Amino acid sequence: MGSEKLQPPRPLPPKAVELPQVEKVVLANGLPVYLIVTQGQEVARVSFVWAAGSAIGLTGGFASAAGKPFVASSTLNLLAEGSENLTAHEIAERLDFVGSYFDVSMDRDYALMTFCSLEKFFEPTLEMMAEIVLKPAFPSEEVEIYTKKRMERLAMERSKPATKAREAFSAALFGAGHPYGISSPEAEYMKVTREDVAEFYKRFYGADNCFVVCSLGAGTRKEALLELLGRMPVGSREEAGGEFPAAVSERRRMVTIEGAVQSAIRVGRILFPRQHPDFVGMQVVATILGGYFGSRLVQNLREQRGYTYGVMAAMVNLKHAGYLAIATEVAAEATNDATEQIFNEMERLKTEPVGDDELENVKRSMLGEVARILDGPFGIVDVVIENIQVGRNADGGCGYAINYLNEFIKEVETITPARIIELARKYLDREKFTTVVVGKA
Amino acid sequence: MHIINNMIKYEEDKLSNGLRVVVNRAERTQMAAVNMLYCVGARNENPARTGFAHLFEHLMFRGTKAVPDFDAPLHKASGENNAFTNNDYTDYYITLPKENVETALWLEADRMTGLDITKAKLEAEKRVVIEEYNQRYLNQPYGDMWLLLRELAYRVHPYRWPTIGLTPEHVAGATLEEVRAFYARYYTPANAILSVAVDMEPERVFELAQKWFGDEPGGALGEVSGFVRPVDEIPVEPLQTEARRLEVERDVPATAITIAFPMGARTSRNYYACDILSDVLAGGASARMYQSLVKEKRLFSSVNAYITGDLDPGMFVMTGHLLPEVSVEAGEEALWGELKRLCEGPVGGYELEKVKNKFEAETIFGELNVMNKAMNLGFYAMLGDLPLVNREVEIYRSFEAQELMAEAVATFRPERSSTLIYKRRSENGE
Repeated sequence: MGSEKLQPPRPLPPKAVELPQVEKVVLANGLPVYLIVTQGQEVARVSFVWAAGSAIGLTGGFASAAGKPFVASSTLNLLAEGSENLTAHEIAERLDFVGSYFDVSMDRDYALMTFCSLEKFFEPTLEMMAEIVLKPAFPSEEVEIYTKKRMERLAMERSKPATKAREAFSAALFGAGHPYGISSPEAEYMKVTREDVAEFYKRFYGADNCFVVCSLGAGTRKEALLELLGRMPVGSREEAGGEFPAAVSERRRMVTIEGAVQSAIRVGRILFPRQHPDFVGMQVVATILGGYFGSRLVQNLREQRGYTYGVMAAMVNLKHAGYLAIATEVAAEATNDATEQIFNEMERLKTEPVGDDELENVKRSMLGEVARILDGPFGIVDVVIENIQVGRNADGGCGYAINYLNEFIKEVETITPARIIELARKYLDREKFTTVVVGKA
Repeated sequence: MHIINNMIKYEEDKLSNGLRVVVNRAERTQMAAVNMLYCVGARNENPARTGFAHLFEHLMFRGTKAVPDFDAPLHKASGENNAFTNNDYTDYYITLPKENVETALWLEADRMTGLDITKAKLEAEKRVVIEEYNQRYLNQPYGDMWLLLRELAYRVHPYRWPTIGLTPEHVAGATLEEVRAFYARYYTPANAILSVAVDMEPERVFELAQKWFGDEPGGALGEVSGFVRPVDEIPVEPLQTEARRLEVERDVPATAITIAFPMGARTSRNYYACDILSDVLAGGASARMYQSLVKEKRLFSSVNAYITGDLDPGMFVMTGHLLPEVSVEAGEEALWGELKRLCEGPVGGYELEKVKNKFEAETIFGELNVMNKAMNLGFYAMLGDLPLVNREVEIYRSFEAQELMAEAVATFRPERSSTLIYKRRSENGE
């Protein structure tokens, strides 16, 4: 080889992502089920998505739940706390015994429940799934324990600067009374009753308000799963009345914490949900700004100025809205300059074209991210869920998930510096942004 | 009930400069993971310059003469990377499409010898790390709990400080000379483990490792040779003989009680026993502490029990947030009550089986992606017992109730306890 220096390897662009087949089955009760079956896979994941997020009941049209916060999240969290046949403890024991688990999460629009098990323990897991999803009893005692405990935990959450910032930002962006902006006092938990939860379940946890996505090994008995899902009753959901309320944004909001050594800064603007033709383009803009480690804000606020440990920017998608958000925690004394730098970087995007090299890095890192999500058997489920939530399942066929991802990839691959400038000029007008600071006055 | 063990298959090699290389042939994945572990952590720090290993980890991203921006070529290769430092070691990991695996090897080899740290870079990075300190430890409710607990539980062992350091001043005072000396001593092939999970012939990966990390002239590591593994003398923590207690008051929403006990080193039998016992107490919603202390007695809003998992003797920790109307005494008594149960009666057959099953399932869930596989291999190679990666489930399975009870009795002794009461400051300013 001689003493010549080794040449750095030439990185190749990511290959087209290989997506597994997604099979869609619509059961007799109307429940859509999406199945991904992989040979040799030893684990199973089943995810339920109900359009029953925390904003439901606050949007009008759902009379009884309206004005009662925490009913939506209590319902989801209490599903496994006792069924017609088993106590909460018995359900927990049976799942733990075979090493299966479930997770729940909730955003403003959706409630999500995911079960994971080893393939060989799929059947005992299914038995518990039936108890949890189809036959929850919501015993009064459990409701009482739960609401008290959650009230304490929320108070604890809310003592964190990041939580204060998140809540203040939502309120400033959408309006304090808006379904996407509202935060309720912890004490409201004490008003949640067994009846509220049972009624909410009856209305919103039916087959007409749900879809299911599963990733299974080829040996898993999917018939047993489909039989269970076929037993999900149709809910008594009424159509939501009225328009989704309009957002009213504030320009600035300050939340004071005495003696804080850092400020949490949130900057953002309501734009549009994912279906909008500029959404993917704005995802690229957000990535250049603060969506990866090489991003401009990381370079500026962290690498150059040492103001912060981290900063990020992203497009956030909700059912009825979407927004651009920038978030960081900075040294208290750097608060004003850091805020200025954020706007300076937006300004730069409007005036200077992005260099080819930088854009190439952004594109490849975004595409790499897709490949990373799809590594392992569970990531594909998240991708399919997201596609369905943005309405890409209209054709009902098997190809929709692939189509959507391919559209995304194609758009990211072909975006030009001119298009970035165009989007930045269209959407990064400082006057339209909301700034929230949580920290020392 | 018997579950067939899911094994990580691997092959290992060692270069003449001492670099250990471990490869997992990952199947059915487009992604590759490259993990670089350096056997240096907060344990190796000078007590007057704590937080240094972690600060140094940050500096490893500040560029070399050949590659001024570490991240740019990686982004171009669709890669992503990060790192962490703990008390025992420092770990750098990269995931990227398998076609680009060589880019990761090149970058890691390059920064093993070519790091180019200037005064300006060091100063900027110190500020970043101090903000990390602020964000995670000072500007957070309960943020200093770990700092307090470590200082209470250890007297001489470097585990008495957290990886972030005893104080931000230690970070602020770091000098370029210290950076250079640390780099020369600890960032050598002989002190590192490269582990790779990729759908590629292991032989081919070894060739690539040789190409980039070997000591041929022209290779990234140049002609430098004669690397030796540094050996630091780590003070041994003396046996604790008296119960310790610290009470502090803070502006937090709920009082937190934490009780910690010294436990065995990572490969000792006591380590596994403590891991099982912590799961009996707090491994899931069916576990004892949640059922008894949160649901039945309604004393706490949340509870937990866990082990620190350190290389040297670590800590068994039991903790909970009290409900507002419950006294500290009642809370403490209840926590001790659970420990007593473990010491005075054997864990039931069903309960033990459940915990063992859970370890087995968690092992399988934990090996679903390439990154975890590569990281696990690096960790067990560092322990000096690579085959242990596939033997642990069996070790957990080997425990019987009587042995666990004996280990509980040996571990949960009042005179070995360190209790931290992190009190909510009362609202009326009393």
